[in-house]
Amino acid sequence: MTSPRFLAVAARFLVPVCLAFLSACQKSGGGAQQFAFVTNGVDPFWTLAEQGAKAAAAREGMDVKVLMPAGGAVEQKSMLEDLLTRGTAGIAVSPIDAANQVGLLNEVAERAILITHDSDAPASNRQVFIGVNNYDAGRMCGQLVKEALPQGGAVMIFIGRLEQDNSRLRRQGVIDELLDRSHDPSRFDPPGGEIKGDRYTILGTLTDNFDRALAKANVEDTLSRFPDVGCLVGLFAYNPPAILEALEQAGKIGKVKVAAFDEAERTLQGIRDGQVQGTVVQNPYMYGFRSVEVLKALAAGDRSVIPADKFINVPARQIRKDTVDEFWKDLKSKLGK
Amino acid sequence: MKRIIGIAVLLLVVYLATWIMADAFSGRAVFMSGYNQENLLRRIALYGILGIGVSLVIITGGIDLSLGSVVCLVGVGVPWLAVGQGWPMPVVLLLALVLPLAIGLGHGLLVTRLRLQPFIVTLCGLLIYRGVTRGFTQDQTAGFGNGFKALRWLANGEIPLFSGFGIPVPLLILGVVAALVAVFLNRTIYGRYLLALGNSEEAARFSGIQTDRMVIVAYVICSFLAGLAGLLFVLDVNLAQPVDFGNFYELFAIAAAVLGGCSLRGGTGTVLGVLAGTALIQVLRNMINLVFPAYQNMEYAVIGLVILAGVVADELAKRAVARQKAGS
Repeated sequence: MTSPRFLAVAARFLVPVCLAFLSACQKSGGGAQQFAFVTNGVDPFWTLAEQGAKAAAAREGMDVKVLMPAGGAVEQKSMLEDLLTRGTAGIAVSPIDAANQVGLLNEVAERAILITHDSDAPASNRQVFIGVNNYDAGRMCGQLVKEALPQGGAVMIFIGRLEQDNSRLRRQGVIDELLDRSHDPSRFDPPGGEIKGDRYTILGTLTDNFDRALAKANVEDTLSRFPDVGCLVGLFAYNPPAILEALEQAGKIGKVKVAAFDEAERTLQGIRDGQVQGTVVQNPYMYGFRSVEVLKALAAGDRSVIPADKFINVPARQIRKDTVDEFWKDLKSKLGK
Repeated sequence: MKRIIGIAVLLLVVYLATWIMADAFSGRAVFMSGYNQENLLRRIALYGILGIGVSLVIITGGIDLSLGSVVCLVGVGVPWLAVGQGWPMPVVLLLALVLPLAIGLGHGLLVTRLRLQPFIVTLCGLLIYRGVTRGFTQDQTAGFGNGFKALRWLANGEIPLFSGFGIPVPLLILGVVAALVAVFLNRTIYGRYLLALGNSEEAARFSGIQTDRMVIVAYVICSFLAGLAGLLFVLDVNLAQPVDFGNFYELFAIAAAVLGGCSLRGGTGTVLGVLAGTALIQVLRNMINLVFPAYQNMEYAVIGLVILAGVVADELAKRAVARQKAGS
């Protein structure tokens, strides 16, 4: 038997690992209050938010965990339960489906400070929502489409999923802007059917549920089915890169216009190269940063950080060719690149 | 009993390790709090029902990959019909219990009559049921909102024992399911048939067992339990997204069954072992969330490694026993 040698090798590996475990436990077991920033999935967008949350945590000397559920609502639920178990003092969460998570969110709110970011849950007892006005941001993206296709044309919308408040509003903003409708965030055009306006036709809305390969396939299929589509709109961070990828392979880059959302590197490069009309950026870094600041204030009993409408707006911006370089530089510095 | 000693020891070690790491250093009852133990038991109950179902199919030497999609079909279908379409709840519930029976019957018939491989049949099931669910819901989340509080008690209710701790109702449901299946497997002639045909279908057939019928029964029970779990999952979470509800659950269930001593070659398996396997996976996930939340994205890797370690240890132990027997 080789067991003594095996044991020696095992010990050499196991001892440092165990020590690391123990020191990790001791650190987390300190008396300091714990806070958490919970996302609705895994994405580079959330990496930016994580940077913001960590920057604020470092500045304030706080213990903040950033958690990203990869398994949908079931995993988000058990994640929140486990945070409560750990005695987390304050939680900022982006609910996957606000309407049906009210019970869960209220349970969290009973045992910890609860705020929402990115996507709101107005029916829950969350103390405040930090995010962008997605309907307005959608209309800003619609303006980019109008700039790209001043004569009008056919438009296809690509988005991760439509269950979330933020994605629904964002999409509706694009549609309402293209159809020159009045400002009404409560409107909802069901996906599927074609929506015809005076100058613009929205061919449809394709969802991919965070599956990048499917996101690209959706674009490819659109190009085969609607060869004369004028503009492709990508509303989640990874959609514009998927659009550009598919356009490149189809040899249609620059010919079909692209209007984007969020700040993926490929998107910014596309704006610089003239392949993308522009992008509407939220400020995920500030979602993270402000969430942590607000949690700290609330934990200290300072409620002055909550505005009357319980909405802290982190406004969206349009980035076009003339502003892309400056924006990108700032982004890189925030990510420490 | 001998077969599950390994997994039981592993479970105990992981459980104690989590307890020590989570509680000893923080000086508070974190892992051992009533709240957490209740959560843990509820999760074990929900996933355990799936594991028991698939273990019956594995015992016949088959496999069921469609579990997660059946969970999705029922989990999404129930709120979609009851809330979205306004169907009366009793009708919806009846459908939710009958449809999985039909699905299991279909799997069983395809496997026994057409002699299709279970892997293929249930892989197609995996694709079909999820695709159908996404189709009829248009990919929209279905949920109960504020309604059906009484029904939801089945999944999120508890029988209070002492302050801060109660027995989660799903655990009682799991108890009933586990007891019925264990009696079926060990105390009835049909359970014996099932084990016999898993060991050698030919031998079982030649000794007069209606093997086809028994295989069909296994698939029917398996799909039925998947539907039951799907119902309980959605009653617990209150919402289900067609795209990812129940995703990968078949693999968690199969992993739990294998950890619990079911051989994928068929013929062996115990209900207690499957429950221990399920508990191990859930305690591991709980440990990562409680003790190492910063490494939460490595959860699958940890679970994978522990399962692998368990199976390897089991295999080595078996060989050691065989060597000893040969030597003596």
